[in-house]
Amino acid sequence: MRIALGLEAAQPGLLPLLADPGLLAAIDATAELLTLADGFAQPGADGPDALLLANWLGARSRQVGILPGVAVNFLEPFHVSTGIATLDHVTEGRAGLLVQPLRGARPAQARRAIGPLPGFPEPEAAALAADTAEAIAVIRALWDSWQDDAIIRDPVSQRFVDAERLHYIRFQGQRFSVLGPSITPRPPQGQPVVAIDLQASDDPAQAAGAELVFLGAEATALAPALRGAPLVFADVLVGDSARPGLRWDGSAGQLAALGRLPGVAGLRLVPADPARDLAPLLAALPPVRPGAGSLRQRLGLPPAPNRNINVAA
Amino acid sequence: MAKKQVILGAQFPGVNNFTVWSDPAAGSQIAFSSFRHFAETVERGKFDFIFLAEGLRLREQKGRLHELDVAGRPNTLAVLTALAAVTQHVGLVGTLTTTFNEPYPLARQLATLDLLSGGRAGWNFVTSPGAFTGANFRRGDHLPHAQRYERAREFVEAARQIWRGGDFAVLSRHFDIAGRSGLGPLPQGAPVLVQAGESDAGRELAASHADVIYSRHSELEAGRAFYADVKGRLARYGRRPDALKILPGANFALGDTEAEARDKAAQIRLQQVSPRSAITFLEQVWNRDLSAYDAEGPLPAIDPDVEADALSQGRAMRYDDRLATARKWREIAERDGLSIRQLVIRVTGRKQFTGTPQAVALEIERHVQEDAADGFVLAPHLTPGGFDEFVAKVVPVLQDRGVFRRDYAASTLRGHLWAA
Ligand SMILES: Cc1cc2nc3c(=O)[nH]c(=O)nc-3n(C[C@H](O)[C@H](O)[C@H](O)COP(=O)(O)O)c2cc1C
Repeated sequence: MRIALGLEAAQPGLLPLLADPGLLAAIDATAELLTLADGFAQPGADGPDALLLANWLGARSRQVGILPGVAVNFLEPFHVSTGIATLDHVTEGRAGLLVQPLRGARPAQARRAIGPLPGFPEPEAAALAADTAEAIAVIRALWDSWQDDAIIRDPVSQRFVDAERLHYIRFQGQRFSVLGPSITPRPPQGQPVVAIDLQASDDPAQAAGAELVFLGAEATALAPALRGAPLVFADVLVGDSARPGLRWDGSAGQLAALGRLPGVAGLRLVPADPARDLAPLLAALPPVRPGAGSLRQRLGLPPAPNRNINVAA
Repeated sequence: MAKKQVILGAQFPGVNNFTVWSDPAAGSQIAFSSFRHFAETVERGKFDFIFLAEGLRLREQKGRLHELDVAGRPNTLAVLTALAAVTQHVGLVGTLTTTFNEPYPLARQLATLDLLSGGRAGWNFVTSPGAFTGANFRRGDHLPHAQRYERAREFVEAARQIWRGGDFAVLSRHFDIAGRSGLGPLPQGAPVLVQAGESDAGRELAASHADVIYSRHSELEAGRAFYADVKGRLARYGRRPDALKILPGANFALGDTEAEARDKAAQIRLQQVSPRSAITFLEQVWNRDLSAYDAEGPLPAIDPDVEADALSQGRAMRYDDRLATARKWREIAERDGLSIRQLVIRVTGRKQFTGTPQAVALEIERHVQEDAADGFVLAPHLTPGGFDEFVAKVVPVLQDRGVFRRDYAASTLRGHLWAA
C-alpha cells in the first residue's frame, strides 16, 4: 500500500512546518508523494502559489514525489508545462502535476480575478471540463517537444541543438492554439505524473488524461468505475474535521484495511490541521523504501516514451 | 563624502549568444546543480542579485529553429523559487513579460517568491508584443505594438494593488479584475521592479514606476548620457535621483597580466562567434540567406533586403535601419581589413571589462563614481563556473577599496540596493 499526503498550500501554519528540516525529513521518510492543493482566487485565503511552493520544497527534499495543484483553466498551459518540467529538473524526477478542477463558487471567482479574456473558457462545467482536457493535452505535448537527446553540443557542425529533435506541437483546440516547442528541455521523467482530484459529483471521464486519480473522501464509490485505467488513491481524513468520509482512527491496522478497498492502490492522508496533525501522523507511519528512483518508478508506472520518436525506427 | 557603493547583479549565462557552450568547462544550462553552483558562488561574493532573462519561444532563423546558440531554459519563477530554498541573502530577479501574463496570477507568484525568499524577489518587466511569441499562448497576438507600455503600466499598478493584500479591483483599458489577496503585506512591501526598455516610453515608465533600470549603455560616455537622461526624469514624479538605480549589462575577461586578459577576451569572442554564428548575425542585418558566404572572407557586396519579413525571430536586439547598418559595417570592415567573422566579433560585442582583477575592479568603480552607472549586471561566458574567478579575485579588491559590502547588512533585496 502506498501512502500520500494531501496538503493545501493556503493552510494556515503550513509554511513554518515545511520550513522545518526535521519535519521535511519525516515526510521524505514516510510518504511516497505529497499533493499541494492551490488556493487560486479563493477569496482572502488564496495563499502561496502551489507550483512555486513545490519548487521551493523540491530543492530542499530528497525522496518524496511532489504534485502541486494547478487550476489549469485559468492559467497559460505553456507556463504550467515549463513550471512542472522545471520541478522535475529541480527534483531530478520527482515531479507531478495535480490537475485541480475548481468547483462551486470558485470558477466564477477565478474568472473574476483574471478578467473575461479571449482564449480562456467560460466558467461553466462543460466548458471547464473540455478546457481541462485540452490543457492537459498541451502540457503533455510540450513535455515531449524536446527529445531527450536534442542537445548535441556538436563542435563540427557548430550546433548546440539539433532542430530535427525539437518539435512544434501545433495544438489546435476549441478556444486556443499553442505552437511549441517548449522552451524547457524534456523533464527527466519524460512525462511527470499527471494526477487529478475527483469528487463524488464529478464525471469520471475527466480522468482520461491522468495516470493517477485522487478520490475525495466521499467519492470512494467511484473506484470500481475507474478500474483498469489509472492508479487510484482514496482520501482518508486525519484529525477532527466536520467533513464526512473515510477517517483514520490512528491505528496501523485500520490503514492496512483501508488499503485493501477494491480498486485502490494507495491512500492519501489529509490532515485537517497540519500544525496539529502532521507531526503525530508522520510519526505513526511506516517508513517507505528509500532510494526508489523517480516518482514514476515509485508508483510502478512504465517509462514514458516520447510520442515524437518512431519506435519502429 | 563617502564613496558610492557598487551594485552587482549576476546574469545566469543561459540562452544568450554570449554564452559559450563549446568550451570543455561549459556545463549544463538546465540542471539545477548548475543554478545552485551559480547562486552559491555569487552569494559567497555578496552580490546583490541573480538575474534571469526571458524568451518564451525558441529563436528562429530563416523559418527554422536556431541551432547554434544555447537553447532551453527553466521556468523563471519556478527556478528562482527553488534557488530561494538553497540561498539566504542574494536577490532573485526574473524577467517576465507583461504581455503574455495576467496581473493576478503573476502578482500572486511574485508575492509567493517574495514570501518564500524572505523579501528577495525582483521583477524585470518587459513588454514583448507580437505574433511570434503569442503563438504559444491562449490569447495569441493580442496587443498592438503602440499599447505595450500602456498595458505594462496598468499591469504594474494592478500588481502593486494585489501586493498590498486584501481586496483589489482594477478597471482600466487593459484590465477588468477583482478579488481578494491573502498574501500581503509582503516582506519587502513589493518586489523590486526592474525595467529594460530603451525607447522614450520605456525610460519614462522606468522613471515613474521602476526601482532599477537594466540598460545597454555600459561604455563610460554613453553610460553618463543615459544616466543623466533617466535620473533627470525622476523629479517629474516627485522621486529623488537615488530612487532609481541604473545598471548596465556587461561581460568580463580576467588574466594575471593585461596581455593575458586581452588574449582571453579575444579567445572568448572567437568561441562566442563561431563561423556559422557570424553568418547568422550578418543575416539578421542583411535579411538574406548568406549561407554560401565564407565567414573568414569579405562582407557581401549585395545590399540587405529591406522588403522581406524579418528572417530572425525571438531576439531582444533588432536592427531597424538595415541599409545604414550594412553601410557602416562595410566601412569598418574595409578600413580595418576584417573578415565577416572578425567584423561580427567587433560590432556585436558589448562592454567587456578586460584586465587583471585589480584593473577590472578599478574600471567598475570608475564607472560608478563617475555616474555612468550605479553598478552592473554582469554576465559570465560560462555556466556554472563563470563567476568563480571573479568572486575569488575581483570582489576582494572592490571590498578593500571600500566600494562593495564585505557582508550582507540586510536580508531583503531592497535592503541590499539601498544599504548605504
Ligand atoms: C538590456 C536589455 C535586456 C533585455 N532583456 C530582455 C529579455 O530577457 N526578454 C525580453 O523579452 N525582452 C528583453 N528586453 C527587451 C525590452 O524589455 C523591451 O521590451 C524592448 O527593448 C522593447 O522596448 P523599447 O522599445 O522600449 O526598447 C531587454 C532590453 C534591454 C535593453
